[in-house]
Amino acid sequence: MSKERGFSLVEVLVGLLILTIVITTTIVMFTERHRRLRQANETILAYQALSNEVEIWRRIDFAQLDGQPPTFQSDTSILQPLKPFNAAVKVDTPRADIKNVTFTVRWNKGQREAHLSILRADTGGKGLW
Amino acid sequence: MKRERGFTLMEVVVTMAVFGLFLIIIVILTAEMRQNEQRYPINYMAHPEVVAVMARLRKDIVDTKYYPMSFQGYSQSNKTLLLYTLKQTGFGETVVYDFRTAGEVHRKAFNATQLSSDWVARGVPDFEVGAFSLSTGQDAVRITAKDAQNQLAIDQIFLPRAHD
Repeated sequence: MSKERGFSLVEVLVGLLILTIVITTTIVMFTERHRRLRQANETILAYQALSNEVEIWRRIDFAQLDGQPPTFQSDTSILQPLKPFNAAVKVDTPRADIKNVTFTVRWNKGQREAHLSILRADTGGKGLW
Repeated sequence: MKRERGFTLMEVVVTMAVFGLFLIIIVILTAEMRQNEQRYPINYMAHPEVVAVMARLRKDIVDTKYYPMSFQGYSQSNKTLLLYTLKQTGFGETVVYDFRTAGEVHRKAFNATQLSSDWVARGVPDFEVGAFSLSTGQDAVRITAKDAQNQLAIDQIFLPRAHD
């Protein structure tokens, strides 16, 4: 009498399928977590540079906002890991006494972007919001 | 009767090939992770103690009226910051931030010359204080911190608001 021992082909295939699903899921989770952590790090760096720039632009005289160069005036050393990056400032005037100043940092070949806006009002005074 | 024991060569080879494949994937992933770790500084902003220090600094500097040159044995340096700041009551107090102890930040507040509060944050990076002058002539405070790999991890400019 022939006595067969071991697993059948179907059993082996099902086992392999389960193993593949488990390993693939683990790898996907691992890479996704890693990607999100990297993006969080990048965002934290970008917003530090953005908030520094806001500190400067909120103190520029209202009448001089349009005459400023459309680039960051603060030290952007913090953005070093994001190189090559692009930092820009845009001033919009929706009303004569209102200006919207938008600061933008783009990196990762323009695929990632962080921006921050402040609204400046002509209060007639100096050094105010 | 001949009794076979152990694995065949084919079984061992296939198992090792599968194992090797997973090993290669893991090595590639960890190598990429290490590369990114070296590229990016430590995200200190994820640490509650660091966030608390930055929040207190921001509040104190925004409400600062002037920067005393020296006070109670402290003087302005890249490791100590002296502020005369407004409290919620409208009265002022002198605040000293002492970054001289590695991994610690001490905030001492003085009512006139009397120590009124002493707050310590531990497990924080080594901060440095710098001056940052705006084109408008105003003096901002620049707080920086580097990680163990000497990468700039924190760089924040705080500017007192207009009081007059």
